[in-house]
Amino acid sequence: MTAVAVALVQVLVVALGGLLLTGLMAKVRARAEGRVGAPVTQPLRDVAKWLGRESPRATAGTALAIVPTVVVATTALAATLVPLAGVGLVDATGADALVVVFLLLTGSLALAVGGLATATAFGGMGASRAMTLSALAEPALLVAVAAFAVPAGSLSLPAMLGHALDQPLTMVSPSHVLAALALLVVVVAETGRMPVDNPSTHLELTMIHEAMTLEYGGRDQALVSLGAAMRLGLLLGMLGVLTVPWGLATSAAPLALLGGLALSALKATVLAVVIALAEVHSAKLRLFRVPELLAAAFVLAALAIVVGVVAR
Amino acid sequence: MALALLLAPLLAALVLAIVAPGPRATATSVAASGLVLAGGVALGARTAHGHVVQALGGAVRVDALSAVMVIVIGTVATLATAATGRVLGDVGAGPARRRAREYAILVQVFVAAMLGAVVAANLGVVWVMVEATTIATTFLVGHQRTRRAIEASWKYAVLCSVGIALAFAGLVLVYFASAHAGGGLRGATLDWSGLRALAPHLDPRVTRLGIALLTLGFGTKVGLAPLQSWLPDAHSQAPAPVSALMSGVLLTVALYAILRVKAIADVALGPGFVRGLLVVLGLASLAVAALMVIAQRDLKRLLAYSSIEHMGLIALAVAAGTPLALAAALLHVVGHGLVKSVLFLGAGEVHHAEATTTIADIRALLRRRAALGGVLAAGLVALAGLPPFSLFASEVAMFRAEIGAGLGWAAGVALALLVVVSTGLLRAGRQVLLGPGERAADRVPRRALAPLVAALGASAVLGVVAWPLATLLHGAAGALA
Amino acid sequence: MSGLAGALVDLAAVAVLVIGVAGLWRRDLRALVGLLRVQGLALALVAATTAASEHDLGLGVTAALVVVVKAGVVPTLLVRVARRDPGAREAAPLINVPSSLVLAAALVGLAVVVGAPLHALAPGRAAALAPLGLATVLVGYLLLVTRRRALSQVVGLLVIDNGVALTTFLLTAGVPLIVELGGTLDVLLVVVVLRALLGTMRAHLGDVSLDQLRELHD
Repeated sequence: MTAVAVALVQVLVVALGGLLLTGLMAKVRARAEGRVGAPVTQPLRDVAKWLGRESPRATAGTALAIVPTVVVATTALAATLVPLAGVGLVDATGADALVVVFLLLTGSLALAVGGLATATAFGGMGASRAMTLSALAEPALLVAVAAFAVPAGSLSLPAMLGHALDQPLTMVSPSHVLAALALLVVVVAETGRMPVDNPSTHLELTMIHEAMTLEYGGRDQALVSLGAAMRLGLLLGMLGVLTVPWGLATSAAPLALLGGLALSALKATVLAVVIALAEVHSAKLRLFRVPELLAAAFVLAALAIVVGVVAR
Repeated sequence: MALALLLAPLLAALVLAIVAPGPRATATSVAASGLVLAGGVALGARTAHGHVVQALGGAVRVDALSAVMVIVIGTVATLATAATGRVLGDVGAGPARRRAREYAILVQVFVAAMLGAVVAANLGVVWVMVEATTIATTFLVGHQRTRRAIEASWKYAVLCSVGIALAFAGLVLVYFASAHAGGGLRGATLDWSGLRALAPHLDPRVTRLGIALLTLGFGTKVGLAPLQSWLPDAHSQAPAPVSALMSGVLLTVALYAILRVKAIADVALGPGFVRGLLVVLGLASLAVAALMVIAQRDLKRLLAYSSIEHMGLIALAVAAGTPLALAAALLHVVGHGLVKSVLFLGAGEVHHAEATTTIADIRALLRRRAALGGVLAAGLVALAGLPPFSLFASEVAMFRAEIGAGLGWAAGVALALLVVVSTGLLRAGRQVLLGPGERAADRVPRRALAPLVAALGASAVLGVVAWPLATLLHGAAGALA
Repeated sequence: MSGLAGALVDLAAVAVLVIGVAGLWRRDLRALVGLLRVQGLALALVAATTAASEHDLGLGVTAALVVVVKAGVVPTLLVRVARRDPGAREAAPLINVPSSLVLAAALVGLAVVVGAPLHALAPGRAAALAPLGLATVLVGYLLLVTRRRALSQVVGLLVIDNGVALTTFLLTAGVPLIVELGGTLDVLLVVVVLRALLGTMRAHLGDVSLDQLRELHD
């Protein structure tokens, strides 16, 4: 019962937190650039506003109609599996890291299909670019998560986090550091942040994610934006707990769980601010350099596994 | 006392820093090389029957094999230094003079490093010395400062450094294995005689990795394929005496290191492992040489590829590993050192006289420059492995020993490739030497050719009667088996 | 070896390898030399930590030598070359960067497989890490063969050398001091030699791109 409640709360927190983090990052950027910027709650208000509107659809295909729902649903399902509050709640086998990665992949695949279904030039271009990156980013994400799994010898997220909590020294091991770096790079690429994608641009030459979502409106637009925000929140949360698992509840006591969840949110917030600040100070990579960055992440993750296995 | 003579090149290097370039400097260089040769002969006399000369608290260790190498170094160094004046020409003043001085000093340092490599008791020191030869020769290869010379010396330095770094990794692994040797014998060592004693107790898996790296690493320096690509460039661009030293002895000094390593590996891993490696490397080298010699357009490159061929032949004999095969291989080392230095120095004279080494541009040397042409003709005949020269005797002995050691198939392949290379050599010889022509006005001085004739004579004598080297060579082979 | 010393050696050893891989990623020649300097420091850290925890004076001397030569003199010499043409970059590596990075990962795997017997012979933390040294050697080799710039090739050579040194420190706590001294001196000399060659190249050819060195062939 507690487990179901926690899972539902997690989805809510990821959704709300994701939207707020998106707003926060925009705000931090604005401040760092000397602007006032929109309020942090702006994405939340936008989504709420769009939710109440009808969805104009240019083409009659079913793909466009179901894509927003698929994006939100897969991300929400993934959000129930990542232990953001505590590690001792459910039987560990369900919360497999591979399942989480594949759910996220399904979401981005759906989005690309939607981009193609609009049959506009931008949608197709965005989908093509997104899939190119995805083909590199997903393996890297998989390997990076697997690298965290090496010390525990299990791909189950609660098991690996539990192991790290038991043996805090693994957190300064080279394998852990490398895996954390790799995951950071992948998360930046996955969430469509600079230096890979510039989330605040609508210039056709530079956008990736935005190009695929141009054709949505109303409720669809709301769901797609929500999905993207949830994805950001979830990945940052995952990065936070995998890198520094301290603070996660090990029992089912409600207070401990609440504390764990709050701490996870805090870690994600700190990461968001750091990434936003880093974005201000870095130029966007040219598109053909991006594969290099992701390949580097892949190599870091592979090294993390090798080192983890070798030095065990 | 004989060992003290081996310090002569170092002393000469010091003297050459003071004496101005010119006849007196050349005389110093030749004298130093002659002293090394004398020391080698004295050491050979003492070690031929299994005695081992040690010095400096065991850091220096000379057995018959080392003595053979010292003799070859001394001989080729004498030939090469005698030609110093011919290379540097009239040095005059200014930068040319400074470079002439550098050249003379570096040659002595180079010779000293090779001597250090063959008398050191510690494989680590052998490694350091072999690397030191790379450093000294890099400048010598690039001595002429032309675009091509610089390119050649760059390739040489980078590739040989990589090879030698691999060898160092191998050294570390062998050292590690010796530190963890089983059987109650514990003692981390790099001393090659100590390692041989320890060999039965070395962990085979680690040792195999180490030996493979050592063979490949030193093999680079020997010029064995697939890491031979530096050799034709370096040998063709270096000044003739340096080419003679590099081809005549430097390659075999690196081979000496492989011999020492093999002696350890044969006990630790059984004879099969290094044999397999060397058969592959040797046949590959022969194949590369055969391919490149056929259509070769440059005389010095031709000679360089022939060096790769001869190193391949020697590697095969070493792979066979019987005392007879090793003795034959060492005789081949001696013969190749003599003949190849004669030919490189001769090619230097050709370059001097004709201002080119492109085979197609040189004609009728036998008519136009009878003496030089004669030396080249005899040298090419010797290099092609024809009697009466010692390379013929050693090749026959090597093939027989290989067949006896069960490597008959490899010997067969090698023989076929050898025929191809020899045909290529003789064809180039015909092109350069024969044909109608007028006697050239300028003549190559007798003084320059006399040492070459003497060396060819020595090679012919060795081909007929292996005495007095036979005892020493068999002693050296015995020290390894 | 205490827990802290062990963790330090772990981190530094991995750093040596990761910096080697980073060399494949960077194109800026000066950044490449900077990486080399940091790699030298990491290497020295491995040696110094091992020396301190095993009270090995010889290895301590080696560590000091590594700092001076590999983190000090050698990069300084190279940086002077790099400084002469500011903004010099690797034009186009023979294999593009993503492929070479993935290849590097494969090489690391290979090194681990090949190096397995080392750990079997001497169970222990340091010997277990030794394959990372071999991996650094392979990565350096990859760097050397895929780069066209003369300076990058020197860096590749030195990465190979650092890999060998890392293997040495991890496996045997250093080979005999005399060999170590000779080896380090040789590295220094090789760099001096190559640098002199670079100078000559610049004087005679006007550039240090090896693309222009294509005259010698059959």
